Amino acid sequence: MSRLDADMSGTSLLAWRNLSHDRARFVVTLVGVLFAVLLMGVELGLLLGFARTTSGLVDHTDADLWITPAGTTNVDIAGRLDERRRFEALAVPGVAQVDQLMMQFAFWRKPDGGTESVSIVGFNLATGQGRPWNLVQGAIEDLQQDDAVIVDRLYAAKLGVTALGQTVEINNRRARVVGFTAGIRTFTQSPYVFTTHRNAQRFTFFRPDQTTYLLVRLRPNSDAAAVRDALQARLGRVDVRFAADFARAAQRYWLITTGAGSALLLAALLGLVVGIVIVGQTLYATTVDRLPEYATLRAMGAPNRYLYRVILKQAAISAVFGFAGGMLLVGLVVLASTGSTVAVAMPPGLIAVLALLTLCMCALGALVSIRRVTRIDPTSVFQ
Amino acid sequence: MSAVITLAEVGVTYGRGAAALAALQDVSLAIQPGEMTLLLGPSGSGKTSLLQVMGCLLRPSRGRVQLFGETLAPDLGVEAMAALRLAHIGFVFQHYNLFPTLKAWENVAIALDLKALPRAEQRGQSLRLLERLGLADRAEHYPAELSGGQKQRVAIARALAGGPRILLADEPTAALDGKTGQGVAATLHELAHGAGVAVVVVSHDPRVEPFGDRVLHLEDGRLVDDRRPARSSA
Ligand SMILES: Nc1ncnc2c1ncn2[C@@H]1O[C@H](COP(=O)(O)OP(=O)(O)OP(=O)(O)O)[C@@H](O)[C@H]1O
Ligand SMILES: [Mg+2]
Repeated sequence: MSRLDADMSGTSLLAWRNLSHDRARFVVTLVGVLFAVLLMGVELGLLLGFARTTSGLVDHTDADLWITPAGTTNVDIAGRLDERRRFEALAVPGVAQVDQLMMQFAFWRKPDGGTESVSIVGFNLATGQGRPWNLVQGAIEDLQQDDAVIVDRLYAAKLGVTALGQTVEINNRRARVVGFTAGIRTFTQSPYVFTTHRNAQRFTFFRPDQTTYLLVRLRPNSDAAAVRDALQARLGRVDVRFAADFARAAQRYWLITTGAGSALLLAALLGLVVGIVIVGQTLYATTVDRLPEYATLRAMGAPNRYLYRVILKQAAISAVFGFAGGMLLVGLVVLASTGSTVAVAMPPGLIAVLALLTLCMCALGALVSIRRVTRIDPTSVFQ
Repeated sequence: MSAVITLAEVGVTYGRGAAALAALQDVSLAIQPGEMTLLLGPSGSGKTSLLQVMGCLLRPSRGRVQLFGETLAPDLGVEAMAALRLAHIGFVFQHYNLFPTLKAWENVAIALDLKALPRAEQRGQSLRLLERLGLADRAEHYPAELSGGQKQRVAIARALAGGPRILLADEPTAALDGKTGQGVAATLHELAHGAGVAVVVVSHDPRVEPFGDRVLHLEDGRLVDDRRPARSSA
């Protein structure tokens, strides 16, 4: 310890000793930061998790453009398109391939009775555009059978199925589970049921010439924006969007219409505020205890920034340790969420944002203390 | 030798209007290096105020202050005054004002750190200063583990860190018993004579008096006496 201290700058030494000299208060600070990090981490992780869920289907196709019925706001709810539109689209220069993708709510009768609502996703088995990802059991090719469907393990219990080969009814038609995926969530609480486009039409009473979306792939080196505009002009009463734009639209739609977005942001903000208040309070109490020492430093000729540095380093130490503890708990929550229908996402970018928020939180908490030492009168050391 | 601090017609007034109180009036003096100047006077006579003016802690309401021949601007900012203190002046206080969470040598090292001495040299220099004040074996102790006299010596070592040419002490022996107080006074006297530091000591303590090369008397904020006792104890 003594060797370590010998290598510390004066401000680090004072900061560290100020904190370690009042362990109880330091622990309160750390718990405050930890709680704030946990709250911010889980709420922002949920927000990101929800966002990814709402656009998952779009993000997992490799279409350049999505043609949707006019006025479609998200991928889960849409009207119908006529198959004729596909041929119109194929005729536009720059278009290489157009696949149909169906999306329609349906009723799922569990093997032992009871009904759930599901979202039937019908895709083109030949090109695989819109196929399920993360298949952990069964094979996509098995969907060639007339009644075959694939669902996600996360919703197996909700859908009352436990093993491959089990039969259920979708809109009163027989269906058989031939595969399970892992981690394909839905925001609407109606789990995705993947099947071929033809099967989907049969399950949902679409006419054979009807679909929901047209997924466009462009020729290499074509001007994407120009093709989009040409498609829009040619097809008329539909919406033509880049996949990324449609994904963002879906995220905005669900997070805003349900209020989930603002609720989660508000909770994260609450965590930030709680953290600022706790760090501010405890740091200020420590500063007030140490005012005579700050006055002595000032009398000795220390510039104000030397005093600020001591306080900011205390804040930074609290931030680092509180963040480490908080992220440990966030990690546990993230782990626990992988097996649930609600995902807490925690990519490196979000971890960096949380680290930055924690530092800002502690720096803001330090402001009151900094204001206080700025007003110190160094002549007070003579009283 | 030329004066390190010169005051010309300095006045200090606290408060304004009806509550105004003249703590110093028309004080002119010059502090010389290499000697120990005592500042005596009854309670409330303005000794501490005068020391604060000399130490660039207090801007006088009237008059001029010169440091090493340079006149301080009357509107000098607080940061500029702090920089002057840091560069030239060491302080010793009645209640030591050590940093309680730092060991003796770390207390000294803080002063060196403030003066931007490289970190690698701080410990060695701190130990040498403590050794000079007879505290080599107390370097690793915290202030709470030191006697009053030892604490005041650590404080003197800290004030000497970085080699200031002015050392200002306000009642440095007031909290010490007679013999210890005498020891501290002797140390300050030696610093003036050995290292050529200008030492100014405010004191009520008659046991400090024999160590003064020069004695200033304040009464009601006025300098009423300035003499050099024929017999100095050194
Ligand atoms: N910050 C201040 N505000 C108002 N009045 C002050 C202030 N500091 C000192 N005074 C007044 O100025 C006068 C001189 O005070 P000063 O502290 O300089 O005296 P002193 O000689 O050091 O006294 P003592 O021996 O008791 O320490 C006193 O009347 C005191 O009450
Ligand atoms: Mg006084």
